[in-house]
Amino acid sequence: MTSAGMIGSELEVIRGQTRCEVASRSKRANVMKSRIPTTYVHGVKRVRYSQEALEAKRRKEQAKLKEYLILNDDLLAKAYWGKEAFDLTTRMLNMNPEFYTAWNYRRNMLIHGIFPTRTPVEVNALLTDELSLTTALLKQHPKVYVIWNHRRWCLANVPDGPSHTDLDGWRQTNWNKELYVVEKMLDADARNFHAWNYRRYILAHMPAKRSAQSELVYTTRKIEANFSNFSAWHQRSKVLISLWETGQLDPRVSKEEEFELVKNAMYTDPSDQSVWIYHRWLIGAGEEFEVIQREIASIQELLDEQPDSKWCMESLVFYKRLVLRHHVQRLTATERGSLTQECIRLLSGLQEVDPSRRQRYKDLAWHTAAQQRM
Amino acid sequence: MSASTSTLLIPLHAKYVQSLGESKDDLMYHLTAHLRMNAIYWGLTALCTMNHKDALNREEMIEFVMSCWDDEAGGGFGAHPDHDAHIHSTLSAIQILIMQDALDRVDVDRVVKFILSLQQPSGVFAGDQWGEIDTRFLYCAVNALSLLGRLHELDVEKTVGYVRQCRNFDGGFGAVAGAESHAAMVFVCTATLAILDRLDEIDQEMLGWWLAERQVPSGGLNGRPEKLEDVCYSFWVLSAMAILKKVPWIDSDKLIAFILSAQDTDHGGIADRPGNQADVFHTHFGIAGLSLLGYPGLADLDPVYCMPARVIERMGLRKGWEGLPRKAS
Ligand SMILES: [Zn+2]
Repeated sequence: MTSAGMIGSELEVIRGQTRCEVASRSKRANVMKSRIPTTYVHGVKRVRYSQEALEAKRRKEQAKLKEYLILNDDLLAKAYWGKEAFDLTTRMLNMNPEFYTAWNYRRNMLIHGIFPTRTPVEVNALLTDELSLTTALLKQHPKVYVIWNHRRWCLANVPDGPSHTDLDGWRQTNWNKELYVVEKMLDADARNFHAWNYRRYILAHMPAKRSAQSELVYTTRKIEANFSNFSAWHQRSKVLISLWETGQLDPRVSKEEEFELVKNAMYTDPSDQSVWIYHRWLIGAGEEFEVIQREIASIQELLDEQPDSKWCMESLVFYKRLVLRHHVQRLTATERGSLTQECIRLLSGLQEVDPSRRQRYKDLAWHTAAQQRM
Repeated sequence: MSASTSTLLIPLHAKYVQSLGESKDDLMYHLTAHLRMNAIYWGLTALCTMNHKDALNREEMIEFVMSCWDDEAGGGFGAHPDHDAHIHSTLSAIQILIMQDALDRVDVDRVVKFILSLQQPSGVFAGDQWGEIDTRFLYCAVNALSLLGRLHELDVEKTVGYVRQCRNFDGGFGAVAGAESHAAMVFVCTATLAILDRLDEIDQEMLGWWLAERQVPSGGLNGRPEKLEDVCYSFWVLSAMAILKKVPWIDSDKLIAFILSAQDTDHGGIADRPGNQADVFHTHFGIAGLSLLGYPGLADLDPVYCMPARVIERMGLRKGWEGLPRKAS
C-alpha cells in the first residue's frame, strides 16, 4: 500500500540489535559507510557506529544470522508436520513474531495435524499454551497485529466443555482471562488501539456478557487517571450510546452528568483537545436549544477567564454556527446578524492565536458570512 | 534545524533506497523478509517521486515480484518467495507491476478471484484466509480491483456499508466498526470512498477539522488526538486532506521543515522523527508528503492510490484531489 499493513506493526524496537559505542566525530569518514539498513522502525534513536564497532556487531550477529537462516529454510520447506516442525515455529516466532507465514503454518498444523488426534481436554490445554505464548510476545511487541490476531483465533477454537451440562465452561474461563490480559496491556499503554479494539471484541463476544455499566465505570477510571486519554473518551461514547439505546440509562439525565464531568476536565486543562472533542459529541447535532445555549454561556465564561483559549473560541464558533443552522426559526433577524458577527470575530481571533490553521478559519468565516447573506 | 536539513537530499535518498537490497549479510534484512514486497513498493514509489526510477533494476524487480506468486492460495502474492499470499503484498505486487508496465505478467482473473474471496458478509475484507479483518484490507481490495479494471465485480453497497459503520462522530474512521478514529484508517477509508465515488459519505467539514488538528507545534502531524507526531502521518493525514481539497488548512512550511529535519544527512533516508533511525517506510511516506505539499523538484504523487500521478492519469483513474501547487526550485 500503501499503507495498509504497515501502519500496523508499529515496531518499537529493532530486534537483534546490540548497542555499540557511539563513534566520535573524528571518525566521520568511516562512519559514512556504516549504515544499518531497516525496512520499518519506530522510535529508535539513530546511533553512529564506527567502522570497528559495526564490524564487531556484525561478527556477533553472524551466529544469530546463521541460526535464523537455517530456521527460516526449514520452516519454509513446509514439508512435514510434527512435533519438531511445531517447535520450529515456536522458535521462529520468538525471534520474529511478525512472520505471518509461520503463524499460518502453526495454525494449519494445529487444525489438521494435532487437534484431530487429541481429546477436547487436550485441545483446550494446547490452546491455553498458545494464549500464554502470545501473552509473552505481546509484552515485548504490544503493537503487532498478527499476535493479537492469533489470540482471536485461539479463543474461537476453544472446544465445548468441560461437560455436556457445561458446554461454555472452558470458553468462559478463557474469555474471562482475556479481559484481565487486555487491562494489563492498557495499564502499560492506555492509548494502544490494538488493545482497545481487542477489548471491544472480547466484550462483544464473551459467552457471558459483562454489563455495559461496568464498562462505563472502567472508562471513568481511565479518564480520571488521565483526561488526555481520548481512547477512553471514545470508548465512553460508544458505551453510553448502547446504554441509552437499550434503555438502561435515561439519556437526558445521563447527558447532564456527562456535561458535568467534561466541564471539570475543561477547567482542569482548557488546551486538551480530547475533552473538547468529547464535548462536541455530547452536543451532537445540537437539537436541544436550551442545552446548546447553556453550554455556549458556560464556555464563554471560561473564555472570559482565559481570553486566548483556542479551544474555547473554536467550540464557540462551532456551536454558534450549529444554532444558526438548526434553530434559525427561533432567532430574530437581529439575533441572526449578531451571532454571525460573533462567529466572524471569533474566527479572526483564532487566526491570531492559532496561525497554523489560519486558512481554515478564513474559509469558515467566508462560509458563515455567505450563509447569512442567503 | 541545521543547514544540511533545510533541503531534501534527493541524490542521497535515491542512493539509500538503491542500497537497501545490498545488505544480505545483515540479520535485520532477513527479519523483515515478511515486508519485502511492501518495501520494494515503498522504495520504487519514493524513487519515482524523486524522478530516479531507474535507480533500481526493472527486470530483477519484476522477477522478484513474480517469484512471490502463491499458486496454492489460488491467486495472490506473498511478501517474499515461499511466504503465504496476503492481500497487502498482493496490492503492492500489482502496484509495482503497473509502475513497471508489466501487468501482462499476471493472471488477472485469478488475482481478482483471490481478492473477492476475502470479502466478509459484513462487507469488510480479511487479509488472508485466517480472517484478520480491517479497513486497511478493504482499501487494499478496492485499490487493487480498481487498478485491475475490475471494480464492477465488487459489491459496492456492501463495501461502503462497512466503511460507514467505521465512521465516528469526529468525522474520522477506525480500523473496525466501533474503533477510535486513526489517521491511517482515515486515509484508507477516504481513499476507498474516493475510488468508489462516494465521498458524500463523509462529513467533510468535520473531518477536515479533525485532520487539521493533527498538526502539533513542531509542525509534524500526529495520528490521533494528544499523541506524538511522526513523519508517516504526513502522508496519512495529507492524503485525506488532498482528497477533501483541504491541504491549505495546515501550515505547510512548518510540516516541510519537520519532514526535512528527520532526514539522515549522513546515509540518506528519513526517520519517524528527528534524530531517529531512518527506514524505507518513512522515507517513502515523508517524500510522498512533501510531494503533496508542492515541494520543488518532486513528481506528483496520487494520494488516492499512493502511486505516481502520471501513471494513474494514464490509466484514466484520476479523482478530483488537490495538493499544493508545485513550487519552483
Ligand atoms: Zn511512523
